[in-house]
Amino acid sequence: MRTARFDELIHAPTRLEIVSLLAAAQWADFKYIRDELGLSDSALSKQLSTLESAGYVEIRKRFVGKRPRTSASLSTAGRQAFEQHVAALQRIIARSQQDPEAGPAARGILGH
Amino acid sequence: MGNTQQPQPAGTGASGAEAAAALAAIQRQQGQVIESVLVPGWYWWAMAAGMVAIGAARDSGDLIVEAITIPLAALVMAVLTGAMIPAVRRRVQVHSATQPGARGAAATFGLILLLDGVILGTAASLAAARVPYPATIGCAAGAAVIVIAGPLVNRYLGRLMLSQARQQMNDAPQAGGTA
Repeated sequence: MRTARFDELIHAPTRLEIVSLLAAAQWADFKYIRDELGLSDSALSKQLSTLESAGYVEIRKRFVGKRPRTSASLSTAGRQAFEQHVAALQRIIARSQQDPEAGPAARGILGH
Repeated sequence: MGNTQQPQPAGTGASGAEAAAALAAIQRQQGQVIESVLVPGWYWWAMAAGMVAIGAARDSGDLIVEAITIPLAALVMAVLTGAMIPAVRRRVQVHSATQPGARGAAATFGLILLLDGVILGTAASLAAARVPYPATIGCAAGAAVIVIAGPLVNRYLGRLMLSQARQQMNDAPQAGGTA
């Protein structure tokens, strides 16, 4: 059974958007991600490198004709971490609805 | 995996509102990916224009007009239809679990059958009744169908994909988890 696990690496706003986009896709072109999220080339490269270093994203470089094309996809580990993070978010919401007076720490939001 | 997380200290993570905002952002991104692989609105109008051009050429009775217009319109429609999928696939491909599947295929096939039925049925009926311009009117009826039903089928496919994506998101992990 997979666990709910809050993932700080994924939760950062820009990375959450990138991972969410890649979770819905088999793969996505670098330019597509950049344009959809309104990021600069360097900002996207940096975030993808971080995710790649964590083993969450696989970067593929190939040539279409003479043009280089870079695409990204979630790795199996990345998809699993994303699903666990979503489960953790859902649990945080469920617990906050059950006990709206409690603070985050009291609600045990960490998924562990 | 490079980010094997250890249990975090209390006080980190997110509040309920932050978690809800994060989930909303996730769903928004899913919607954007799905939206970007759907057929654009102008496509249906281009198909409708092509159909009417073919019908009008057929009714013109001019062999040269027919010989030029019909293959040209058919070619443009075929190229546009063929370009839809590769144009999208060069940028992003929707995850296999989110594909519309059998229900999506049935909706697309149903649209094609409806279109053929309306065009052929109308044109044949009008021709039998000796009404002038049967092919033009039949194709215009088909054009009206595709302009109305095309976007509806498109939206249905989008909703189907989105619901599958959300279903997958809700079902895959155990939300209650082994905490």
